[in-house]
Amino acid sequence: MDPETEFLSSKRQTGNEWELFKENVRPLKRGRNVDLLNHALKARTNDQLKKSLLENRRRLIEAIDEYQGDDPLQPWLDCIKWVQEAFPPGGDFSGLVLIYEQCVRAFWHSDHYKDDLRYLKVWLEYAEHCSDAEVIYYFLDANDIGKTHSAYYIAYALHMESKSKMKAANDLLNLGISSNAQPIEKLRDAYKKFLARSMRRPNATEEELKEDDLPVRSFGTVLARGESQRQAIKTFELGRNKLKQDQVHRTPLSIYNDTNMDVTRGHHSKPNTGSNSWHTLGGRAERNKENNAMPAKWTSHKIPQRPVPRIVGAVASAQIEVFVDEECEEKPKVHDEKDRTSSLQLRELDGRNIKKETELLRENPLRNFPSNSLPR
Amino acid sequence: MASRTVAKDIITLRGSAAIVSEFFGYAANSVMFFYSILYNRGVYPEESFAKVKKYGLPMLLTQDEGVKSFITNLTAQLSEWLEAGKLQRVVMVIMSKATNEVLERWNFSIETDSHVFEKGVSREKSDREIMREIQAIMRQIASSITYLPCLDEPCVFDVLAYTDTDVAVPFTWIESDPKLIANPQMVKLHSFDTKIHKVDTLVSYKNDEWDEQ
Repeated sequence: MDPETEFLSSKRQTGNEWELFKENVRPLKRGRNVDLLNHALKARTNDQLKKSLLENRRRLIEAIDEYQGDDPLQPWLDCIKWVQEAFPPGGDFSGLVLIYEQCVRAFWHSDHYKDDLRYLKVWLEYAEHCSDAEVIYYFLDANDIGKTHSAYYIAYALHMESKSKMKAANDLLNLGISSNAQPIEKLRDAYKKFLARSMRRPNATEEELKEDDLPVRSFGTVLARGESQRQAIKTFELGRNKLKQDQVHRTPLSIYNDTNMDVTRGHHSKPNTGSNSWHTLGGRAERNKENNAMPAKWTSHKIPQRPVPRIVGAVASAQIEVFVDEECEEKPKVHDEKDRTSSLQLRELDGRNIKKETELLRENPLRNFPSNSLPR
Repeated sequence: MASRTVAKDIITLRGSAAIVSEFFGYAANSVMFFYSILYNRGVYPEESFAKVKKYGLPMLLTQDEGVKSFITNLTAQLSEWLEAGKLQRVVMVIMSKATNEVLERWNFSIETDSHVFEKGVSREKSDREIMREIQAIMRQIASSITYLPCLDEPCVFDVLAYTDTDVAVPFTWIESDPKLIANPQMVKLHSFDTKIHKVDTLVSYKNDEWDEQ
């Protein structure tokens, strides 16, 4: 009897948590295992289940450390998959972004994985969680990662398209086709869809000037436009996958803050909250202040120091911060020094640190990479 | 008047078959599970569907004439088999256009109450209650996005009918293998029940692996 007939005729039911709590579930492109999903959803209100989830995670992290075979990427994938299943809403507290980052950093220099589709997919999923993934695509390009796969060109081109860099997107897709990336039909189909979309675009003729610049910082204008376009593209591209909820996580809204204006004059005046600040253009002196102000020290503003990037040696030395609920906290294990041949360390952090680190990574996904690995 | 009310609630075999056939996407103007699946899974683009209200739920109806006539014809045949008590299961199979690989199978497994079938009448169950059950399944189809893998390549669909062996294969149908998915993930959805036919629904899908293209 085939498995479906067997299941249909059996008394077994599928739990209904997936439907009851569907608002709390982030759809995954690769789909989810419903039993794991139901279990994870039940665990939110059940301490016993929660404990077993944490135990699972500990085991998976240990497995990464203890792996002896010739495919060290596999235990990382098991761990990532599991975190995705166990934290259906995803989000900044799941630690997913941290694991993506440590995984890609562990193998970026490895020739073995340059063309491995699984490794590329981790990178692409990481990119989806960043505010501006362009630096990631640059990195992949500079280090020749994933270039035999259509997925690389499709994702990169989509990203360019979301920034209205249509020529770049076009060139990328063509490059992928001429490089015979696999599977080629998928790439050709993506190109056709791209062309159809670009025909429909309102400003089909305008071209961006800064095509080959490094990512340009924007303060709310470009980002807002890009996000709505990315929304439109992804909604179309991926059919019913309602990734809109995902957009909220992915690209934080940047809010243009005008209060720095007075700092350059050494003033401590309050920012203008007057009602007529938008109604009058002001005199010429007022309008030209940016061009006329004398440069002065920024005495009232402190920019927090970035932590020095950790140097990653040839051996994968990843530190994984593990989210631990207060009620499940245990004393840190005492490790026998001679047993620890690898440098994988478990650090127990609370949810806030995970959130902080996730936010930092979203803004600067390669911040922990050694400087010699970064594209110029 | 009393007799009319009563007649409405007692489901004859013919009525039940009509409802279950509607269940499978019946003639011209309405949509049921087939269209719901095609729309929600993105087999055809959103723009090719039009909204229609039926049974208190907005439903989507394809405007593609080819698809419409295909589905109309096949549901007419399913109806016929159903009335004859010969239909065991209907499966909508979604496959990759490029590789023909089966990605999803939407199973509708039919149990005919044979005792009722002989006699022609059954216990009472209101249309409204049946519609509620159908709506519950439609909602589940729409929510299945929480666990189904994204179909980000062009797909095609097929409809398989599992019938009794003594049924002759009509001209426009062919005998086929079951087009199964190897090691599928499976989710049971709500069933629905007219007291003559009981329909169990199940969706099975491929495990999406990290090394899959």
